[in-house]
Amino acid sequence: MDKRDELMKLFSRDIREILKQTPAEFDQVQEIRLRIHAPLLMVYYNHEYYLTTEGKLSKQAGEAYIVSRSGLKETLEYISSYSLYAFEEELKQGFITVQGGHRIGVAGKAITDASGIRGMKFISFINVRLSHQVRGCADQVMPYLYKEGRVLHTLIISSPGCGKTTLLRDMIRQISDGCGPGPGINVGVVDERSEIGACYQGTPQNELGIRTDILDCCPKAQGMMMMIRTMSPQVIAVDEIGGKEDMEAIAYVMNCGCKLIATVHGNSLEDIRQKPVLGRLMEERWFERYIVLDNERKMGKIKGIYDSRGLALYTAKGEDYDGRHLF
Amino acid sequence: MTVGICFKCIGCLLIIAGSSGWGCWMAGNYRSRLCLLEQLRQMVLMLKGQILYANAPLQEGFEAVGQRTEGILSDLFSQVAKRIDQQQGEPFCQIWKEEVGHLDESSSFSLADRQSLAALGEHLGFMDKNMQEKNLLLYLEELDLVIEDLRKHKQERCRLYISLGIMGGLFLAVLLL
Repeated sequence: MDKRDELMKLFSRDIREILKQTPAEFDQVQEIRLRIHAPLLMVYYNHEYYLTTEGKLSKQAGEAYIVSRSGLKETLEYISSYSLYAFEEELKQGFITVQGGHRIGVAGKAITDASGIRGMKFISFINVRLSHQVRGCADQVMPYLYKEGRVLHTLIISSPGCGKTTLLRDMIRQISDGCGPGPGINVGVVDERSEIGACYQGTPQNELGIRTDILDCCPKAQGMMMMIRTMSPQVIAVDEIGGKEDMEAIAYVMNCGCKLIATVHGNSLEDIRQKPVLGRLMEERWFERYIVLDNERKMGKIKGIYDSRGLALYTAKGEDYDGRHLF
Repeated sequence: MTVGICFKCIGCLLIIAGSSGWGCWMAGNYRSRLCLLEQLRQMVLMLKGQILYANAPLQEGFEAVGQRTEGILSDLFSQVAKRIDQQQGEPFCQIWKEEVGHLDESSSFSLADRQSLAALGEHLGFMDKNMQEKNLLLYLEELDLVIEDLRKHKQERCRLYISLGIMGGLFLAVLLL
């Protein structure tokens, strides 16, 4: 099933008709946003467009198709395969990951109790973020990740939507299969949100390499420890670390001789330095490589690659962007 | 004269055989309805397990249960799973109702069985896991009552159908003679 068909199934019948007619290449669509009584939006090639009833991409808000409450409700039914109950835990965090690894962010009225958020109702805002696998997008960073043929502890720092998961995915694939700087080794992926491997009924939809084991939908902290005990990986990869409980697991991974590759939200090394727990890890030089991404001109641009002391091994210079775009 | 009597006897025998066959068929139908309902009960229990234990969405739940069983109910579950996966743009209750409607007319389900099975789909998928469990339990309770009643009267009803068939045949034969 191609990406267009895969995505089409998620939307209400009205929106399906619009998407059927749109000339956009779905491999380049980054987001589709639905807001109640507001225009249907598509982020395509890093630019935001209104979608018209005829499926055209327009810059005029007046021409846009307006999303209705029933359309949103219907879309939500299809996103959850008529089984919203099965996504209770995900909904508490405000997103659902669907077949293909696409992440659907939702917002509405939170239902709370003494223990915190219990669920969500009147979901009126949906953001469909498309997952892309770009084979080879990590080619340029791979030489920096190895020292004497061994993988280094690496942290990818990036703002949301800059392509850190896409980069991580390709790094995993190359480490697992083996690439120029090193032979293929066992990689354990703890895929808390099913975004990296995009497993569907246990089968990864994205290619993560021949020596990769995936622990799907498992909390990172528990998953990392489980992986080490059960699958003895040489490298552990996780997406979006940052919680207090993650830090204990990170220390466990790093202390047992396993290498860690992780991503975190941030704009720069300075950002991370100011975070209480990650800042301490930086001070103590736990990570040996930092890759900073931004999407200033194009998604997935490397801003810099730094060593454990924060010294630049590579930085994007002035206008010299073109050769350093990952994808 | 003798040929006439012979024809009459053959006719009577055919009537008796036919009506006895009808009685046996009715008794078989009764037993097979009980079997189907027992199988359905087991499948609903498995679906409940899939939803509660494996946190499976409906599509996954129906598919898993459909694969583990056989017969028309297995086909029903598998077909529903397939249609959910296709997501052609219809609500779940419609998919369920249509598929229950497609159940083989010659199956032993009574009209009431079909109606109550079709009604099960109206509330599935709605709200949280707790609600799914309650919906399924409610249906199971209903199913248990029917099964209990069928089991309780199984012997006497089956005997009754068979006896009625034979007796009815004999009665007709006597009347015609």
